[in-house]
Amino acid sequence: MSETNNQRYFDQHHAREKVCAKWLKDQSKTVHKPILFATLAGIINGVAVIAQAALLASILSTLIIDNSVIGWTEARSPSITLEVIGLQLVGLIAVFLLRSICIYAQQIAGFNAGAKVRTAIRRQLTDTFALNPAALKQQQSGALAAVSLEQVDALALYFSRYLPQQYIVGVSPFIMLAVVMPVNWLVGLILLITAPLIPLFMALIGMGAASAQRNQFLALTRMSGYFLDRLQGLATLKLFGQAEAELTAIHHSADDFREKTMSVLRIAFLSSAVLEFFSAVAVALVAVYVGLSLLGQIHFTFAPAVSFKIGLFVLLLAPEFFLPLRQLAIYYHDRAAALGAADAILTILEQPMSKNVGWVSDSVTQHHHDSPIIEFNKVSKSYEQRQVLADINLQIHQGEKIALVGGSGAGKTTLLNLLLGFESVTEGNLWLNGQALNRENATKIMAYVGQNAYIFYGSIADNIALANANATAEQINAAAHAAGVSAFSNQLPQGLQTLVGERGYGLSGGQVQRIAVARAFLKNAEIIVLDEPTANLDKVTKTQLLAMIAQLFNDKTVIISSHDDEVIQGMDRKIILQHGRLVS
Amino acid sequence: MNDLTFFLRLFKPHRLWLAGGIVLALLTAFAAVALLTLSGWFISASAIAGLGGDVLLFNFMLPAAQIRALAISRTLGRYGERLVTHEATFRVLTEIRVWFFAQLIPLALGRLSESRSGDLLTRMTADIDALDALYLRLLAPVVVAAIGVTAVTVFLYQYDPFISLSTGVLLIISAIAIPWLFNRLGKDSAENVVTLAASLRLRQLEMLQGMTDLLANQAYTRFSEAFANNSERLIDTEADNNRLTALSSALTLLLSQLALLLALILVALGYQDGALLGADIAIVVFCVIAAFELVQPLPQALQMLGKTQAAAHRVRHLATLTPTIDIANLTKALPSHYDLHFHNVSFGYSEQFILKNLNLNLPHGAKIAIIGASGSGKTTLLQLLTRHYDPQHGDILLGDVAINQLNHDELLSCFGVLSQRSQLFAATIKDNLLIAKRAATQNELNEAVKFAGLTQFIGRLPDGIHTWVGESGAKISGGEARRIALARLYLKNPPILLLDEPTEGLDSDTERDVLTALASFAQHKTLVMVTHRTVGLELVDVVYRMEQGILIACKTNANPAH
Repeated sequence: MSETNNQRYFDQHHAREKVCAKWLKDQSKTVHKPILFATLAGIINGVAVIAQAALLASILSTLIIDNSVIGWTEARSPSITLEVIGLQLVGLIAVFLLRSICIYAQQIAGFNAGAKVRTAIRRQLTDTFALNPAALKQQQSGALAAVSLEQVDALALYFSRYLPQQYIVGVSPFIMLAVVMPVNWLVGLILLITAPLIPLFMALIGMGAASAQRNQFLALTRMSGYFLDRLQGLATLKLFGQAEAELTAIHHSADDFREKTMSVLRIAFLSSAVLEFFSAVAVALVAVYVGLSLLGQIHFTFAPAVSFKIGLFVLLLAPEFFLPLRQLAIYYHDRAAALGAADAILTILEQPMSKNVGWVSDSVTQHHHDSPIIEFNKVSKSYEQRQVLADINLQIHQGEKIALVGGSGAGKTTLLNLLLGFESVTEGNLWLNGQALNRENATKIMAYVGQNAYIFYGSIADNIALANANATAEQINAAAHAAGVSAFSNQLPQGLQTLVGERGYGLSGGQVQRIAVARAFLKNAEIIVLDEPTANLDKVTKTQLLAMIAQLFNDKTVIISSHDDEVIQGMDRKIILQHGRLVS
Repeated sequence: MNDLTFFLRLFKPHRLWLAGGIVLALLTAFAAVALLTLSGWFISASAIAGLGGDVLLFNFMLPAAQIRALAISRTLGRYGERLVTHEATFRVLTEIRVWFFAQLIPLALGRLSESRSGDLLTRMTADIDALDALYLRLLAPVVVAAIGVTAVTVFLYQYDPFISLSTGVLLIISAIAIPWLFNRLGKDSAENVVTLAASLRLRQLEMLQGMTDLLANQAYTRFSEAFANNSERLIDTEADNNRLTALSSALTLLLSQLALLLALILVALGYQDGALLGADIAIVVFCVIAAFELVQPLPQALQMLGKTQAAAHRVRHLATLTPTIDIANLTKALPSHYDLHFHNVSFGYSEQFILKNLNLNLPHGAKIAIIGASGSGKTTLLQLLTRHYDPQHGDILLGDVAINQLNHDELLSCFGVLSQRSQLFAATIKDNLLIAKRAATQNELNEAVKFAGLTQFIGRLPDGIHTWVGESGAKISGGEARRIALARLYLKNPPILLLDEPTEGLDSDTERDVLTALASFAQHKTLVMVTHRTVGLELVDVVYRMEQGILIACKTNANPAH
C-alpha cells in the first residue's frame, strides 16, 4: 500500500470510528439514569475509600506508635487498647459495609443500562430486517443473526462498565486530591504530576494500541473462521486426498497468527505497563518521601511536616488514587468491542434497504367504475443505477388467471415484490382496488406461494395456521385436506401435529409446496400470487400441484410467474417481460 | 477433571513457555505484595526511629532502594508475564487445533456428513476457543494463587499464628468457597441462559429466512413479539446471574476487609504479650491487605472451570467417535481396471435396510442414472462407493478387489464427486482449484477454467484467479461455485464420476453448460448419476429407478455412446 493509500485508509477508518462513537453516545442518552446511578455508586465507594484510609491510619498509629511510646514506659492492657480504637473499628466496619453495598449497586445499575440498550437495538434491527424482504434474501442469514445477537450483546459492557468508569475517573481522583492537598501538599503534588502523565503517555502509546486491539480481535476472528472453514470442508478435502496436507497448513496459519498477534500485543501491553509503572513509581515516591521525612532526613524549607498518621494515610491512599484509571484501562477493550459492534449494527441500520419504506398507507384514492383489481400505471423500478422495470402499464381484473413469463433477470420477481408491497416503486403508481397499494392492504387480500416456502419450527398445523392465527382446527384440517397435505401427514404417526422445520421431520420439496398452498387456501385471499412455485419439483409432483392450484383457486385472481410451459398453458392470459419491459 | 488433564497433556511440548509464564506471574505477585508490605514497614520503622532518636542507626538507604526496585520489577514483571503467558496460549492453541483436525480426518466421511454437522462444528469451534483459555484464565491464576496464599500464610505465621490462621482461612474462603457457592447458586440460570440464547438464535434465523412468508401472511408482528419476549427473558435471566456475581464480588470485598479487621483486633489483643510490636504490626497489616489481590482472578477462574470442563468433554467426545468404517490393516494395490460390481449389497443406517440385496455391474465406461424420490437411498449408494459407510452385507468390488481392502485415500483418488453442495474454501480461486491437484501447472489451470466456463467470470474480477472467495471473500453465486467444482473435477481427472444432483439449484444457462461439459468429459469414464429430475438423463445409457431399496432398470437409451 502506498503512503497516500495508507493515509486515506486511516482517514476513512478514523471518520467511521467517529460516527460509531457518536452513535454509542446517542444510545447512552436513553439510559442516562442507570448510568448515573452506577457512577454515583462508584464515586461514593471512592469517598468511602478515603474514610477507610483515614480510619486505618489512625488505628495503626495508635497501635504502632502510641503503644510503642507508652510501651516503653508502662504496660497497657488489651482492653484499654481496644477501648481506644474501638470506636474507630466500628467506623471501619460501617465503611466496609458501605463499600460492599456500593460495589453491588454499581454492578446492578450498570447491567440495567446495558440491558435496556440491548433490548432497544435488537428491536430496531429486527424491524429493519422486515423492511425489505427481497434484499434480505441476498444476505447470509447466519451473519445477520450474529449481528442482532452477538454484536448487540457486545454493546452491553460499554454501557454497564466503561461509561460509568469514565465518569468516575473524572470525579474520584479529584476528590482524593482535594483531601490530600490540605493534608500534605507535597504528596498531592506528586499525585497531581504523575496522574496527568498517565493519559498523556497512554495516548502516545495507545494510538497504536486501540487499533492494535481491533487488529488482534480481527486476527482472532479470522483464525477461528479459517479453522471452521477447513473443518466444514473436511469431507471435500478428504475426497481430494488433501486432508493430511491441510494439517501442515493449519499449523502454518496458526503460527502465522501467533506471530502477528504477538507483535500487536507487545504494543498493546505496553500502554497498560506504562500505567502500572507510573502508579507504582508514585506509590514508591510517596513511601520514600514519607519515610525519609519521618526520619527527619528531609529538610525543605517549604516541606510540610509529616506525622506518622498522615504518612500512613497518604500511603494508603496513593494506590487508590490510580485505581479508577487502571480500571478504565482494563475496560478499554469494552469500548473497542462496542465500537466494532456499532460498526456492524450501523452497517445494517444504514443499508439502502432500510430506506425502502416511504410506504405508509397513502390516502390517495382513484375513483373508477369497474376499476381493475390491480393497475400498474407507468411503473418503473431501479436499484441505484440499474433499472429493473421500466414503464409498466398493466391492468389485472378480478378472476383473471395470469402467467407472468420471462427469462431470469427479466424482472418477474421484482414485479411480484412490488405487487405484494415488499418494495416501493421508483416511479409511477400502483393501484389496488382503486387505492394506492401498500404492504398492509396488499398482504391483506393476497396470498403468496414462493419457490420454496419456509417451514417454521412447529407442527404442520402451526405452519398452515401461519396464514391465520385464529383458524380453528376444522379450518386447518380442511385446508390440509384440500391442498393434499393430509395425503402425507396421515402416514406420519402424529399426523398434522408432527413437528417440522429446524430440528423437525424433513419434508420433501413437494410436501413443502403443498403446505404453502394450504396456507393460501386457509387465508381465503382474493388474489393468489405464486412465484415459480414448481421450480424445484419433479414432473409428477409438479403436475399434481398445478392441478390442485387450478381447482382450489378457480374463483380467485391468480398471478403465477414461471418459465415452464406446462404452468403457462394452464393460464388464460400471458404477460411477457423482457429486460424489464412488457412485451405483449 | 479427566478431560482437562487430557488436554493439559497435549500442552507438554510447550511446558517451558507455560512454566515461564507462571514463574513470571509469581515474581510479579511477590513484588506487588512485598512493595506494599515493605513500604508500610519502612514508614513505621522510620517513624519509630524518628521518635526514638536513633535515626543515625537506621539504615534508610537500603529499604528505599528496595522499594523503588520492587516498584519497577512489578511493572516489568507484569509486562513480561503477559507476553509469555500469551505466547504460551497461542502455542497451545495451535496444538489443540492441529490435534483436533487430525482426529476428525477419519470421521470426515460418514460420521461428520450426518445431519446438522454444520451446527456441531460451529459449536466445536467455540468450545476449542474456550480450551485456549485453559492455561491463561484457569491454570496460571490457580497455580499463582495457591503458591501465593501458602507463602503469605507461612510468612504471617512467623509474626503471629492467629493472624496467619484467620487470614489463611479467609483467603481460602474467598478463593474457593465463595466462587463455588455462587457457581452452584447460578447453575440453573446459567443453563437457562444457554437454552434461551439457542432458542433466540433459532427464532432470529427463522424470521430472517422466512421473512417473505411472514410478511405475506401478516404474521410478522406475532413472530417479532415472540422474539422480543424471548430476548427479554434471556436478559432477565442474565440479570439474575449478574445479581449473583455482584453479590459475590461484594462478599469477596467484605471478606478481605474482615481479614483486615481480625488482624487489627488480634494485634490489639496480642499487644499485652508483646507478640507484635512497632513496625512488625505494619508488616502484618499491610501484608494482609496486599494478599487479597492474589485471589482476585479466582472467582472468574472457577466460573471458567465449569465451562472449560464441559467444552473439553464435548471436544474430546467428538474426537473419540469411531469412524463409520473399518480401516483395513492390509491394503491391496489399486487394480488396473475400474469395473464396479455391487454384489448382494444391503445397507441401513439403523435396523431397517435402505438398500436391499442390491446387485449392479458397471464395466468401465458404463454410464447410468438412478432416479427416485428423496430418501430412497440414491445418495447412500454413492456414499457406499466412497466408503462413507460400509454395507452390512455383500461386497462392493473395484476391479477384482473389495473396496474395503484398498487404502481409503487411494480408493478416493478413483472418484470424482460433483454434488449440489460445492464446498468453497476461504482462499483464492486458484487455491480452491489446486485442492484437486497440488502440482497443477498454469496451463492446466487455464484449461480447467476454460472447461468449466469460468474464463469470462474470472476475467471480470480485478484480481482474476487470485480473487479471494468463500467466507469474507468475493460474492460467488451458486452457479459459479458449481463451475469451480467442475473445474476441480477436470483437474483431478478421475476414471469414475459420481454425480449427485449435479445441476440442482442452477439457472438454465449454467445447467446447460455443466451438462455439455460433463458429456464430453465423461466419454471414457464410468458415470453414476443420481437425480430426482429428468434433466441430464441424456448423459447416460441406462436409467434405473430406486424403489424400496432395489434398483429397477426402467429405460435404456437406444444408442449407447460407446
